[in-house]
Amino acid sequence: MSLKLAIIGANGFIGSRAVELLHLEGLAEVRPIVRSINSLARLSRFDLDCRVADARDQAALRTALEGCDAVVHAVSGDPATILGSLTPMYQAAQQAGVKRFIYLSSASVHGQAPAPGTDENTPLNDRQPIVYNNAKVRAERRLLSLRKTGGVELVILRPGIVVGPRSWWISSFASSLLAGDAYLVNQGQGICNSIYVDNLVQAIYLAARTPQADGQAFLVGDAETINWADLYTPIAHALGFDLNEVPNLEYVKPPRLNWNGLIRKVRTSHRARHLRKIVPKALRRAIRAALTREAPPLSPWADRTQTRNRPPASPQATLEMALLYRCPYKLPHAKAQQVLGYEPVVSFAEASRRTLGWLEFSGYPVRQPWHFSSNEVGRARAPLTCAGQPVP
Amino acid sequence: MEPSPKPRVALVGCGAVAQLYYTPALRELEADGRLSVVAVADPNSLNAAQVRAQFPTAAWARDASELPAHAIDLAIVASPHSMHAKHSIQLLNAGVSVLCEKPMASSVADAQAMMDAAASASGVLAIGMSRRFLPATQTIRRLLALNVLGDITSFNFSEGDASFLWPVASPGYFRRGDAHGGVLLDIGIHALDLMLWWLGEPIETVYEDDAMGGIEVNCRLRCTFSQGAVGEVRLSRDCALANRYTLRGTKGWLTWTVNQADGFEIGFEGAGHLLKAELYEAVHTIPHAGPGKAALNFEQSFVSQLSNVLGAMSNTEALLVPATEGIAAVRLVEHCYRHRRLMPMPWLSQSETLRGTELNRPDLGIRKAMAPEPIRAGRRSGSDFEAARCRLPEQLAQPALTDKATDVGQP
Repeated sequence: MSLKLAIIGANGFIGSRAVELLHLEGLAEVRPIVRSINSLARLSRFDLDCRVADARDQAALRTALEGCDAVVHAVSGDPATILGSLTPMYQAAQQAGVKRFIYLSSASVHGQAPAPGTDENTPLNDRQPIVYNNAKVRAERRLLSLRKTGGVELVILRPGIVVGPRSWWISSFASSLLAGDAYLVNQGQGICNSIYVDNLVQAIYLAARTPQADGQAFLVGDAETINWADLYTPIAHALGFDLNEVPNLEYVKPPRLNWNGLIRKVRTSHRARHLRKIVPKALRRAIRAALTREAPPLSPWADRTQTRNRPPASPQATLEMALLYRCPYKLPHAKAQQVLGYEPVVSFAEASRRTLGWLEFSGYPVRQPWHFSSNEVGRARAPLTCAGQPVP
Repeated sequence: MEPSPKPRVALVGCGAVAQLYYTPALRELEADGRLSVVAVADPNSLNAAQVRAQFPTAAWARDASELPAHAIDLAIVASPHSMHAKHSIQLLNAGVSVLCEKPMASSVADAQAMMDAAASASGVLAIGMSRRFLPATQTIRRLLALNVLGDITSFNFSEGDASFLWPVASPGYFRRGDAHGGVLLDIGIHALDLMLWWLGEPIETVYEDDAMGGIEVNCRLRCTFSQGAVGEVRLSRDCALANRYTLRGTKGWLTWTVNQADGFEIGFEGAGHLLKAELYEAVHTIPHAGPGKAALNFEQSFVSQLSNVLGAMSNTEALLVPATEGIAAVRLVEHCYRHRRLMPMPWLSQSETLRGTELNRPDLGIRKAMAPEPIRAGRRSGSDFEAARCRLPEQLAQPALTDKATDVGQP
């Protein structure tokens, strides 16, 4: 175990699994780096040399990175965070003597529904309708520019839909099913360019160890070609739902959100619903009053009569989901196979089994296990324009 | 007749719990003329200043040992829990009554030493299990005592969030050597205390957690009681759990949402409706009893707790959480740590589980942090990666990045 690997954003979904897997498998001496002390909570299961440093604080990062061979950028956030963290992090790595910088970009640099034939050679566009995509495109360009003048090697990974324990794609769909506001577009028949998180960690590990990867970007994904219904059917089944009964929606361009609409969007989010359960009522009322600029109800009875019998908000398809659910193409990872030696280490069926296990571990009401039949995975339920890999 | 002098109070430890909960409660009681805050102790001058801003006349000491014990009647020990025993014993020996924040101590030995000090001291020793002062938890205890749910057959307490929200000031909070425990010793002590308070001592406890060299972030207890009840306590700093406590009995069930001060839900076998209880003070008037003011909220429970301690100091009421009961939860935590085993984590590979099991060793004492064995170099059988490497062509088995020449040229 000679690889000393720093992971910035180590408390997140990908970062925390990378720490866990690489540490327990003895593949690397991992140094988790997080933004705040509170972010150490999930990592505290292990006796590791954890550091606290903001991804935009170059001096703090430099100290945190000293002695490491490679650093993984696994910081998530809005476009400002994505772009604001790059230069400080790269410069800090250079000052600390780090040899390689691994950037977790996204397959969404090619859009949510890439055209057949898309691969790493396809020119990128930073004028896409999804701002996240543009931020990732600009991030890659900025890092490549830094690499031209900097001494730290750079490897860019472009994972697709990263699934597995703690994945937003998994937990948000499961929560939506339970809340009654789950939906599909196109009956979930679009290709889901999935990558199980352990497969991505495998790619990270290889990216840190493969000399000839410097300066290159790699698409990485699972071996199987699946659609969104394949991804979500086991979850729905395990929670006692029938995916065929989940509403199928079309994308409707929404009117521009006003202040109250924005507040409503935040209040109805799954995160807000969860926090509502555990934050004391007085504090909730104060926050609500401050946000809505309305006086809190004088009596708890008034509050109850207003909320009683209120129908649940009907779901609306977002542009991102509408595009994803119509994706016609399985992105290739042939370049990663050739250069990095990347092979997905966990099959989709095993990934689903582990993911359902995590759902149960996390308190979701998993009722019944899911058993894959040999032709279940990758079975197209409608004709698809698919130039992806053959179904195994 | 001379009015009795106001008790003089010192706050030892000015961190988050002191600032968020004890300071407002002390201000309320001070405004009512029931006590006077005369000193604060904290090595962190900024923390101390935050609290002293609310009590400008209070003196500041860096350590509890520097406090003028002769001028203090009650100390609230809200320092890091590894310091609870030391600070409490110092103050008790100096004749000061102590309200010690939860957990009472990091080990049964420390808790016992605190009790021994209290036994020979003139002051009282109370433990800050604030949830016992919530109207909802008190009412639930009364309902159980009245056998409203019948014989309790099962229960399920779950508490956890995907993000850790408590404003922690030091990374030591998450280090095994400093914290001596994770979610079980921290928020879990509340869950265990309520379980013990409501249901009594279990006759058997099976415990598992996910500590793998560090402290537990997830844990689960399965407790069996002599009356036949079997229940589970699930705690997490990692997962968004339901944050509900449910008790089921032969006549019905009851559900309480964590930290809800003024209500719970109760349902009865065969009944088509459930009761969503909202608590009010009971007013006993003739001829009819009725609801009085709304029940106290979460923050006000700290006022009740302090009032109870003041009452015990003046011998007008009994302590709601004496040390003899505070130690019971510590004893159960220590039992769990001594008999811990690794939680099944279905996403781990076989080799990860094996290594995790090696690292998830029982503690022989909470305070003795185990030094886990260093990770062995090389991959182990059962690894997904190992299986994949076996499938790779040999030329792709690259040397480690650090094995190659160290010069880093331009691309």
